[in-house]
Amino acid sequence: MDDPRPVRVRATQPDRGARLASLLTAARAGSEDALGQIVTELSPLLWQVARSAGLSSGDAEDVLQTVWMRLIKHLDRIHDATALTGWMVTTTKREAWRVRATARRQLPADQDLLADVPDEGPGSEEQVILDDQRRALWAAIGQLSRRCQELLRIIAFTPRPDYAAVAAALGMPVGSIGPTRGRCLAKLRALLDGGPAGSPAGSPS
Amino acid sequence: MTPDADRVPSADEPLDDTDFGLLDELRELFGAVDPMPADLPERIKFSLALRDLEVEVARLAEEDRLAVAARGAEQSRTITFDSDSLTIMIRVDADRDETVRVDGWLAPPQRREIEMKTTAGSLTAVSDEQGRFAFPRVPRGTAQLIVHPAGPGAEDARSVVTPALVL
Repeated sequence: MDDPRPVRVRATQPDRGARLASLLTAARAGSEDALGQIVTELSPLLWQVARSAGLSSGDAEDVLQTVWMRLIKHLDRIHDATALTGWMVTTTKREAWRVRATARRQLPADQDLLADVPDEGPGSEEQVILDDQRRALWAAIGQLSRRCQELLRIIAFTPRPDYAAVAAALGMPVGSIGPTRGRCLAKLRALLDGGPAGSPAGSPS
Repeated sequence: MTPDADRVPSADEPLDDTDFGLLDELRELFGAVDPMPADLPERIKFSLALRDLEVEVARLAEEDRLAVAARGAEQSRTITFDSDSLTIMIRVDADRDETVRVDGWLAPPQRREIEMKTTAGSLTAVSDEQGRFAFPRVPRGTAQLIVHPAGPGAEDARSVVTPALVL
């Protein structure tokens, strides 16, 4: 069976870790600009961490601000970029749970991770257009356990050298020597490879 | 890459190019369906400009939005921030023009100098003995509250800052 998904490997990915490391060094030396670049670099990841913990957009924004302000006080104790990413993810997750516990009464008891984002691309009122390939991926993701959905969603935004640290921060170590695929990614690939090509069971429309 | 139909990808193998490609696709997918607000990093940087102060960071504890039905689209919000030493509660009332009115209370009640930092500059107020303060006209947009230290010799010489809010 041919894999219909084109593989797009980004040459810039492995450099992200090195870039973050030099930004961290500069930020610790007091560079406002370097700190700003770290904010730009890591906020999309932290956004996904907060949102996948079930926070509303507004709460997620507050959590990110709080976490960044707290980083300032911890900057002296964070010595490498991997530790930085791990610390930010852990702190965001903890803060998200705290806020979520506070706001619990306003949320459905068992809010689904994907409940508030459109599960159908074309045709929905959202302007998000998902092509067939992405819809297949979206459908496959929806068949994974909640924990796997959360892990993959977060790992996808993590600088590659930090996969292992972030997975560990999420309580799902991905291998003691180097990052292994892990069961979530293995399951996702099996779902995408198996079933009638391109339309796994449960695919929308 | 030569995909083999008979081989199930194992969880124990190292990540390969297909995995990296899949993760790139997932990033694009979640980035499309649940994007971070584009201006959030700028607002975060606005808050972080205070990094040199010896500060205590207050956290958002509660927020309620009350639509004032009789006055159409105008809204009143109450927001509570907690820090180790102080609780700050504010009520934000939308005004007819481009400003909002902010009424606040500090608990425990105390006289403190309070700064409202906005993109257009800073406003200051002083809370009374009951901990009350007010900023009658605050420009709409990003703003942040800073409760300055109680004064020399005070037990807690730190400022308390809130996250940046959009008024």
